[in-house]
Amino acid sequence: MGRHRSFSSVAAFALSVLVLGSLPNVDVNRLTKWIPVGTTLPFRSNVSTSNHSMDAIAVTAQASESAKRPSSPTPPAAAEQPAPGSAQAPGPAQGPAPSPAPAPQGLNPNSLWQTAKLRVRVIDGRSQQPLQGAEVVILETEQRVTTGRDGYTQWVDAPVFRNPRLRPLVAEIHGQLGVIAYKNGYRDSIHMGIRMHEGTQSETTVWMYKIGPGDDRIEPVLYEVPYHHLWLVELADRFRSKTQPGEGPERP
Amino acid sequence: MKKNWFLAIASVLLIGVSAPSTASAQITHTIANTSQPSVIRVAIRSLNPSGEGDPRGRIIWVQSVPFDQYCKDVLPNEWVPAWNFASLQAGAMAVKMFAWYHHLHPITIDGFTFDVDNTVNFQAFRYLSGQPETNAAFASIRKYAYVKPGGEIIELNYRAGYQDDPNWQYRNAQKMAQWGSQYWAQKGRSYVQILQFYYIDRTLTQIRS
Repeated sequence: MGRHRSFSSVAAFALSVLVLGSLPNVDVNRLTKWIPVGTTLPFRSNVSTSNHSMDAIAVTAQASESAKRPSSPTPPAAAEQPAPGSAQAPGPAQGPAPSPAPAPQGLNPNSLWQTAKLRVRVIDGRSQQPLQGAEVVILETEQRVTTGRDGYTQWVDAPVFRNPRLRPLVAEIHGQLGVIAYKNGYRDSIHMGIRMHEGTQSETTVWMYKIGPGDDRIEPVLYEVPYHHLWLVELADRFRSKTQPGEGPERP
Repeated sequence: MKKNWFLAIASVLLIGVSAPSTASAQITHTIANTSQPSVIRVAIRSLNPSGEGDPRGRIIWVQSVPFDQYCKDVLPNEWVPAWNFASLQAGAMAVKMFAWYHHLHPITIDGFTFDVDNTVNFQAFRYLSGQPETNAAFASIRKYAYVKPGGEIIELNYRAGYQDDPNWQYRNAQKMAQWGSQYWAQKGRSYVQILQFYYIDRTLTQIRS
């Protein structure tokens, strides 16, 4: 029995060496931009992310992701090119950047999140005419911008936040942000789930509703942008079992 | 008496044969006899309790949307704005031709006559959701149509497909894979090459102004 156990341990060791050896090359830059500073990773070594230990974490995380899911999350091609004014921290393979771009207010300048250009259009929900002078606040960064005559804010660098809770499971194909629009005489308007992509300009439209004389209970209006349905298809396929396939995999 | 019956039956048959059937009266819509629609009727379905568009929700109203704006408000919800431009162009063409075909073949449900609805029954539509990248892709293909060689306007179908996969055609299904369009665009294919890969026996034509 003891011989069997020792034999199986040796076999397991040899197998693990083979598996580790067959792992693909680690692209540290690609991985590290998805991991927020301060996140505790549920991987083999329970390490808290910091700027000093990104090498080790990147390798560990990539190895673990590869072992869990052969087709690991692939960010869009545009994500490889940081947006102008990006606040991305330099990866270990690139070396220190000569002049890091200024990060949006409220963000850690050493953060690994990328930014992308965002502008918000505010319109009257009834007349659909642009609203000038509305104040728009990006929830995650507390950036404040005001709309011009055409109802648009200026372009701002906003972070592309993907939910870290879902990152090891299925790569979300877009980040999400929330904004609140304020204007005197109008109900506050909260918009959640604005889709953000690295290296791509994003726009969103916020509807605001005028406060009327008969309005007694005045509360904010909520609008939620749904997840992209391509991601929902992928998510459902990810956990489909053979015994309960539901609608089954997509048929071409 | 027998002769009268015979004449009556013969006359009924003659009238039946000579009356034009509705099937043969249908016009074949081609690029030569049809101009690009200016407006499309979109049935807005009720949301499910969580606020997502419900493909089985009841129809609340029918919204008339300018055709170009409809295409621009569909594309970022069907394709991903961060994808390669050629993929977005192929998507823009599919979205447009799908909408064009259904504009020519409206349906009536629950008393509402419409061309498309706002859910994945047809194409995912969110009003005023156009994005700069997808708008540019649509503008670049706006003057063109992808039709049969004779000019007949047909529906360009598509499906999600699988990520990082060429998504080869299954038995001439004539369905473009959305992920497949991005795969081929990343390989350097143009939007016309992507369309040719998924749709057989079609041609790119300039729309008459």
